[in-house]
Amino acid sequence: MAEKSPDMGGKIGYVLLGATKAEGGTRSVSYHPGGETDLPFTGMKAWEGSVPLVAFEICDDPGYWSPIVTSYTGDLVSDTPEWARTAEKQYGADLVRLYLTSTKRRGFDDFPSITKVMEGVLSGTGLPLVVEGSNEPAIDSEVFQRCGEAGQGERLLLGTAEAGRYRSVAAAAMAYNHSVVAQSPIDINLAKQLNILLREIGLKADHMMIDPYTGSLGYGFEYSYSVMERIRYAALKGDTDLAMPMITSATDSLSVKEVRDAGPAVRDDIAVAWEFYAALSSAVAGSSIVCVRHPKTVPLLKQAFRELWAGKMPGEA
Amino acid sequence: MALKALDIYKLLPKKNCKECGDPTCLTFAMKLASGKGDVEKCPYLDLNAKNILGASTRPPIQLVKIGVGERRFAVGEEFVVFRHEKTFYHPPGIMFQVSDLWPAETIESVTRRVGSEHFVRVGTDLTFSGVAITNESGDPDVFAKAVGVVEATGTHIPEVLMASDPAVQEEGLKKCGNFRPLIYSATRDTYKPMCALARKFGSPLVVTAKDPQTLGEMTKLCNAEGITDLLLDLSFPSLRDYLPAATEIRQKSISRSAPELGYPIFLDTTRYQMQDTALVLGIDKYAGVIVTPALPPASSVAALTLRQNIYTDPQKPIQMNPGIYPVGTPGKDSPVLLTVNFSLTYFTVQGYLESSRVPCYMFIVDTEGLSVLTAVAAGKLNETLVRDSIKKFDLENLVSHRRLIIPGYASPLSGKIEDETGWKVQVGPRDAAELGDYLVKEWKI
Amino acid sequence: MPTITFLPSYRKITVDPGNTILDAIQRAQIQMNVVCGGQGKCGKCIVFIKGGTVEFDREKFGKFFTADELGQGACLACQAVVRDDLHVMIPESSLIQQQKILMESLGIETAFQPSVWKYYVVLSPPTLEDPSPDLTRLVWGVQKQGGPLAEKMYAPLDVLRGMPRVLRDSGWRVTATLALVPGGYRIIDLEKGDTRPGLYGVAIDLGTTTVVASIRSLVDGHVVGIASNYNRQISCGEDILSRVNFARKNGLPKLQALAAESINLAITSAANGAGIDLEDIYEVVVAGNTIMTHILLGIDPAYMIEEPYVPVVRRYLTTSAPRLGIEVAKNASVFLFPAVSDFIGGDIIADILASGMGERDEISLLVDIGTNFEVVLGNRDWMFSCAGAAGPALEGGEVLFGMRANPGAIERITIDPVTLESEFQTINSIKPVGICGSGLIDLLADLLRACVVDRTGRINTGIVHPRIRQGTHYPEYVIAWKSESGNNKDIVITENDIKNLIMSKASVLAACITLMKEAGITRTELSTIYFSGAFGNYIHKENAIMIGLIPEVPIEQIKNIGNGAVEGANMALINRKKRKTLDEIAKNIAYIELNAEPSFMDEYTGSSFLPHTDLSLFPGVQKMLDECRLKKSPLGVP
Repeated sequence: MAEKSPDMGGKIGYVLLGATKAEGGTRSVSYHPGGETDLPFTGMKAWEGSVPLVAFEICDDPGYWSPIVTSYTGDLVSDTPEWARTAEKQYGADLVRLYLTSTKRRGFDDFPSITKVMEGVLSGTGLPLVVEGSNEPAIDSEVFQRCGEAGQGERLLLGTAEAGRYRSVAAAAMAYNHSVVAQSPIDINLAKQLNILLREIGLKADHMMIDPYTGSLGYGFEYSYSVMERIRYAALKGDTDLAMPMITSATDSLSVKEVRDAGPAVRDDIAVAWEFYAALSSAVAGSSIVCVRHPKTVPLLKQAFRELWAGKMPGEA
Repeated sequence: MALKALDIYKLLPKKNCKECGDPTCLTFAMKLASGKGDVEKCPYLDLNAKNILGASTRPPIQLVKIGVGERRFAVGEEFVVFRHEKTFYHPPGIMFQVSDLWPAETIESVTRRVGSEHFVRVGTDLTFSGVAITNESGDPDVFAKAVGVVEATGTHIPEVLMASDPAVQEEGLKKCGNFRPLIYSATRDTYKPMCALARKFGSPLVVTAKDPQTLGEMTKLCNAEGITDLLLDLSFPSLRDYLPAATEIRQKSISRSAPELGYPIFLDTTRYQMQDTALVLGIDKYAGVIVTPALPPASSVAALTLRQNIYTDPQKPIQMNPGIYPVGTPGKDSPVLLTVNFSLTYFTVQGYLESSRVPCYMFIVDTEGLSVLTAVAAGKLNETLVRDSIKKFDLENLVSHRRLIIPGYASPLSGKIEDETGWKVQVGPRDAAELGDYLVKEWKI
Repeated sequence: MPTITFLPSYRKITVDPGNTILDAIQRAQIQMNVVCGGQGKCGKCIVFIKGGTVEFDREKFGKFFTADELGQGACLACQAVVRDDLHVMIPESSLIQQQKILMESLGIETAFQPSVWKYYVVLSPPTLEDPSPDLTRLVWGVQKQGGPLAEKMYAPLDVLRGMPRVLRDSGWRVTATLALVPGGYRIIDLEKGDTRPGLYGVAIDLGTTTVVASIRSLVDGHVVGIASNYNRQISCGEDILSRVNFARKNGLPKLQALAAESINLAITSAANGAGIDLEDIYEVVVAGNTIMTHILLGIDPAYMIEEPYVPVVRRYLTTSAPRLGIEVAKNASVFLFPAVSDFIGGDIIADILASGMGERDEISLLVDIGTNFEVVLGNRDWMFSCAGAAGPALEGGEVLFGMRANPGAIERITIDPVTLESEFQTINSIKPVGICGSGLIDLLADLLRACVVDRTGRINTGIVHPRIRQGTHYPEYVIAWKSESGNNKDIVITENDIKNLIMSKASVLAACITLMKEAGITRTELSTIYFSGAFGNYIHKENAIMIGLIPEVPIEQIKNIGNGAVEGANMALINRKKRKTLDEIAKNIAYIELNAEPSFMDEYTGSSFLPHTDLSLFPGVQKMLDECRLKKSPLGVP
């Protein structure tokens, strides 16, 4: 086994996601990504860390989703709670990541619908949730407030905080004890800066996950890969402002030329390969949660992690 | 760890004699520190200094060449553990496996596929590297025949001869030994005859052992036999052992704490169930040669793209050539969209424009590979550049209108560009994903 | 030909039709503020047409004016074409004003070893018994007065031509001026009678914006007069690049003449102030950036601004004053400082000389900030240097209410962390019209302390306070209300202004850190940080560290050397031995091209944070900020 580099004295902090009944919520399982003291899949004490989790991404307005997924999945995509249930029961995901794409509609103001979607998905699946709120400063505050409130006690992961707009999401997270996805554009310094900004308005380090932004394979993935490695390595060397687990999603994977232009016979397989190569490499670079959108990618990743992981898998006693 | 310029300077004679070709010892030290200088150029270095400096500039991992001719490749000669520290230089060879038990036409078709299949990405030709012929028959003649089938295709692609019995190996080598195939492999029991074969045919050799420490002992034994073109076989029984061992070998060779491990890594993914997983690990982490079953079309491009990504120089953003790139078949009244020559930006924008199905021109200006945001901040994207580029690429004769769509992040420049060029500027979206929508709604002639 | 009458001075000038008003203004030698060099881009050369009509595209340039101003006949002087007689009103705001320039001495002692001397000799007239030539008689006389060996002296032709008359008219009582030149001593002047006190030299800082002349007596080495004025090349473009572009378009002779004229003006005003004849100035030492030095020499600077950025000459040069058009004693020599690269010029070598950093074992960091900045790190053994563009924000450019350090500029400001009210002080204590560099640094530091901005400089619009509001384009903080300002406007700083400021400061800090990393030096190994340039003298050192303009060191380790260029030139003027060391200093400085340094962009991003992303580099600031934050509620909403 590899010896631990002498300059590595740091440890990735834990973030609690999801709350079971015993923990005050309604989830069937809860996770605590983090805890690593060595490079991914290498250390002497691999059991100190956590196996990467696979999150399946869904949305509440499939008009904004990749046609590859919607045509593969069919009508299911218009029933968000059912889609979430399928992600758990059929695809075998560890988490569900819900994008509130309905808020992208021009002049969106149907805020009660957010509460409804949230409640639906929470009842549809027992998995812990990652929730991506709006992307529009004017409605951020109200949207995040609704998400936070609907998920009270469930220890959600709320996204997305960026350097330009982080107060609304952080406020909602702090009010209802959720964690926050802190996204920065492929740069270790910007990632660290955002963590500091969040810390300085009172968000605790154990309530943040770093999203370094993931370019899809062939479209900037190499930059993301190296930034993840740098973030992880800096944290292991003791930089506590970067010692949060990472969540990554190469969201453009399904819209790149190679996938889009593929013939119908191979399109799904190519989409899955494109997601799988990027997600597995992200985990190798240090990501604790990898997110994908194609149902077939989920079991492949789960199998790969089982193969590589020396410790317990999620759900194993 | 690389020495700083000042540490090197302290070892130099500080005479500023200029005999090295540099104006001062300090500039010479800076060259050495950045790996561009040659220690031998200083005639006044004492032995001690030379040793310190020599050690820090000699590659910590042996360069090994496999194959001959146009398709040959080299692996090893890497200097860092993480690609962000400098770059990775020699991408792993990905070799498709064929078995000597297979019918000749199957072997032939895999070989021909490796010989001819290629994908072009970012202006680079991507190909698989060669074939690995495994001796599953145990029969020297069958093995030699299979090698002969590969040779007869005339593809001249590099080969790995995977036969653990030296006698079988020799029969294969007789067919292709002058093309420097990779010999797989030497164990503690067979290293002497295998080294003899490597010597005889001038071939590189893979050594196999159950852990890094034993591999180190093996390389010393092979060195004693005069063989230094070696690869370390990390195809352990469990895939779980690959990353820890590969990482250990890379760390110890780069730090020079175990010079006997300073050789490229060999990974045979056909041993594992999760071959795609093994392939990804090998590409990401330190493999020099990877043997894999012929990949299905779906993962072929993904694998080659990942390899290209990992082996791109992280300090040099890939740049596009500035110019005008049509999307679809645009005409005189098609929209013109300005953006920067950072390749990531280019490909992202191009992707969304293509899916929008609105024919248009992409007008790429030279921001030295900076993204829109950075280029605006650094002043590299400015109105004079736009004006000069319009002239240079003759945009005025390409389209009949005078309207330019600029990226959302360049909106502060809109007035200045209008003043400087006389073109009407329309500010586009910040997010390329919204381009399709934007063009449909906002572009009207 | 049309006649133009300028108001309020009623100065008249005639020009050919087709000229612009700016051409006329320049002909009339009125110093107008032309930032963009007359391209119609900066909107600074506003004039009002009070009589007659001009050709001017009001629609195209309308964005520079309010409707009110347009109604009063506003136009841009550089874009308004003269056809007929005109009355043109030039508002004071369009004129270049006298800048506040610091001229304090360094407090460093240096040996007094000039290279020109005067000897008063009383000679015996020639006789039949002693018919030796005039020159022989003179040099023997000088040698007897303690001068150099007679055979080491020689006289140029023009001095020889005047010699018989001067000797005889003076009754053989003359003063000879000697200059040390390679291989001997040249008699550069011969005057009647005893003129020994009339021996001066002048040190010049030839800056892109400002020219400073400092006259010293070379009898005792003391300063007798000092003066400065704007570099008159400003009318050909504000920044150095536009000057080079001007030179490319056959403008080099004009720029050369303007450089000499600017120097002459500064020398003349310094000499007038001290009551000195220009003919008594026998030596000129010039320190300027590499491009200014080239232009003064009349050498084409064009190849320095394009790859591979090559200057024509780097070593020090000596020439004679008349060849450059510098109006002092006619045989006076001019010494020009050497350069390291196109970006590290004689001005920086002068900074290094003035700081003394090249003579010590301890490691120092020298920072010279203007529109461009230069950073030098090192000691007597080694030096690294780099340069870059800081952007004009630190000098008040690219900031809505930014201005140079002119009267009415806010130069000091504090913000009460509880009430968020501001308290400021302006130059000349008049009503504020804008804010200059030192004020901006104070402001940013206090906005950060008061948690009005976060570390990326974004204003927390959640704070309910009349001074914090959403402006037309960006959130802003009101520094001074309309009622208290001198321009009838609310003076504000916008989030965009702050962003520009942070970009500027990040360039400087990233350059410092890049050099330190290249050398493997940490901040605790720095013995001194020197600020050179006017900028350093006015800023609060604590605030400069607070925002992360420079690395954190104890305040007492930060020193201002004032105008290092002129101080260094002064040292070279009075101590000729120093000049010989300059080429060595210049040669031993390694220049690091930041754009070629892959890590620079990383450092820049890391530095684009207040004070820096790596808080361990600023432990003191961190502690202070933590204390400030304790007093605030987490989300900043009171």
